[in-house]
Amino acid sequence: MDDKRDEDDAVLTTLFEAGKSQTPAPSAAFLARLAAEAETAAPNPVSDRATVPTSGAFERFKGWFALSGLSSAAAIGVWIGFIAPDLITAVSPLTDDVTALSAFLPGYDLSALSE
Amino acid sequence: MDQTADTDAPDDALLVAFANGDGAAGQILVNRLAPRLFGYAARVLGDHAEAEDVVQDTMMRLWKMAPDWRQGEAQVSTWAYRVAVNLCTDRLRRRKTRGHVDLESVAEPEADMQSVVERMTENDRADALQAALDTLPERQRQAVVLRHLEELSNPEIASIMDIGVEAVESLTARGKRALKAALSTRREELGYGHG
Repeated sequence: MDDKRDEDDAVLTTLFEAGKSQTPAPSAAFLARLAAEAETAAPNPVSDRATVPTSGAFERFKGWFALSGLSSAAAIGVWIGFIAPDLITAVSPLTDDVTALSAFLPGYDLSALSE
Repeated sequence: MDQTADTDAPDDALLVAFANGDGAAGQILVNRLAPRLFGYAARVLGDHAEAEDVVQDTMMRLWKMAPDWRQGEAQVSTWAYRVAVNLCTDRLRRRKTRGHVDLESVAEPEADMQSVVERMTENDRADALQAALDTLPERQRQAVVLRHLEELSNPEIASIMDIGVEAVESLTARGKRALKAALSTRREELGYGHG
């Protein structure tokens, strides 16, 4: 009985060795197909994602940055003029409205406005 | 596409490189993993066309998972084997009948078991083994192939099959007993003679 078991073990070992030496191998064409699929499945390289959009993006957005700064300055000016008109008058080189108008309408009789 | 992959890099480093757009890293992984997965699947399924499907599906799942891979948490090969094992299990369960046993192609001399096996060609021995493997229950077959043909360690197999190490040992032991029984009942067909 033990002899038979040993014999079976030896046969099995021999068959396993044969199995290992005869490992089923994929065809070269199949491996090439898998390699091509890997190439296709690879995400876009990080370097491309980082460089291509950024170089043009800065140029594109520079104008927007400038425009938004100008718009902000204008909005703040309107806001200050609305809530604190005296502040505008204080920093203005023109002392009052009549003086300001005389600069633009030098030939007009502005004294009538003061009466 | 960048071709920066280091052929000596570990699998997980290659997978991260692939996720960052290095297609060459993916190709190296194909060359490393696909032959092993194919060998396993072909033995378990006994069908090369089906084995190709399993390997292709496994690799596609690997590519999809690559961006979420966390280095150091698991081995890429273990992950790939696990997917392949599950895909093979699905296919085996879809089969309504057991795999056929094709022992007729093996020589038929009548002599003692060992001497006949010694006289068999390597191809005949491999065919005899495959035929015997086809008769095993699927889990035993998977465990025996992973242990005795793919030569993975029991802890690796436990991780791949999602079972304990003791369960692996039990499966492989029962698998070997069943293999011997399958071979024994076909001694005449195998030409092992009267034992």
